[in-house]
Amino acid sequence: MAHSGKKTILLVLRHSPYGSSLAKASVDVALATAAFSQAIDLLFLGDGVLQLIPDQDSRALGMKNVGRQLASLPLYDINHVYVDAEAVMRYSVDLSQAPVDTRALDKEQIHRLMVGYDHLLGL
Amino acid sequence: MILHTLNASPSSAAFADCIGVVRSGDAVVLLGDGVYVALAGTKAWGEMLARGAQVYLLGCDALAAGVAEFAGGPTFIDMDGFVALTERYPRQQAWY
Amino acid sequence: MIYSLLVLSSPVSGHGSRTAAEFAQCVLARGHSIRRVFFLDAGTLASSGTSVFAQDESDPVHLWVALAEQHALELVICISSALKYGMLDQAEANRHGRPGPTINPVFAVAGLGQLVDACAHSDRLITFGG
Repeated sequence: MAHSGKKTILLVLRHSPYGSSLAKASVDVALATAAFSQAIDLLFLGDGVLQLIPDQDSRALGMKNVGRQLASLPLYDINHVYVDAEAVMRYSVDLSQAPVDTRALDKEQIHRLMVGYDHLLGL
Repeated sequence: MILHTLNASPSSAAFADCIGVVRSGDAVVLLGDGVYVALAGTKAWGEMLARGAQVYLLGCDALAAGVAEFAGGPTFIDMDGFVALTERYPRQQAWY
Repeated sequence: MIYSLLVLSSPVSGHGSRTAAEFAQCVLARGHSIRRVFFLDAGTLASSGTSVFAQDESDPVHLWVALAEQHALELVICISSALKYGMLDQAEANRHGRPGPTINPVFAVAGLGQLVDACAHSDRLITFGG
């Protein structure tokens, strides 16, 4: 039975920043989770890596800047951020300029990462 | 061990992402538009089989789509069977 | 075991919301408990007190309401998503000067802290999307 001991959570982000409401919802989940002192790690997979493209400027859209929100992750003690190496290469994302530091993983490593968590939140 | 649930068609990013991560020892439940992955003889079904995971098909969704008799060999499950799988697999990744 | 569900599926697009409700029913039938069902993004539309479904079609809202009433199931809609979709309880309708409430009263409006709590206290966290 579950007790209120610490569960480990991996948030798997698969959507581009502005094409749907899911990217913003997932960042909100990350920040809320950390705000409640629950550890959470992030994995940007597939189109999710597009959230890491630097120099996003969403002002004209009237939408919150997802890149800037991601830049605040370390302030919430979210320090384990992983990224799908194959998708990064496919989209030529310059991780050195990304809003947050990440560790790139191949698919085998991604599977090994995922099996280490109690809960996987796919957003 | 991961229980993957796929609710998107073979042409979707969700399918491509899912296939990349599934490994043997995992299980995959095809539901919603995911049932089309199970069509026998298709590239998608071949790719799914190649992952080496146990593949399950939510029967009511396959029936709705008219693909039940064309499925390439996944194990049919009902909702009770779906819950039973979640009892066995400690973590679920939803692909959609 | 203790389950919690995270539902992102809209009740009016695809049948993910219905699948989630039937899943919840089976979880309870197999003797497990459900700490909470948390609705996020388009999933919050399941709380609608004003949706009208055709008589010959499935009514996912009704499925959830019936589950809540029969099993005292805790159904929570995420406040930030709910507001955008017009899913308002009386307090939010008053606060924002909108006609309301627009949600069925079996649903509670709350923040993401309830999802965090669900994760922390559940053996299984099952997500339904698409």
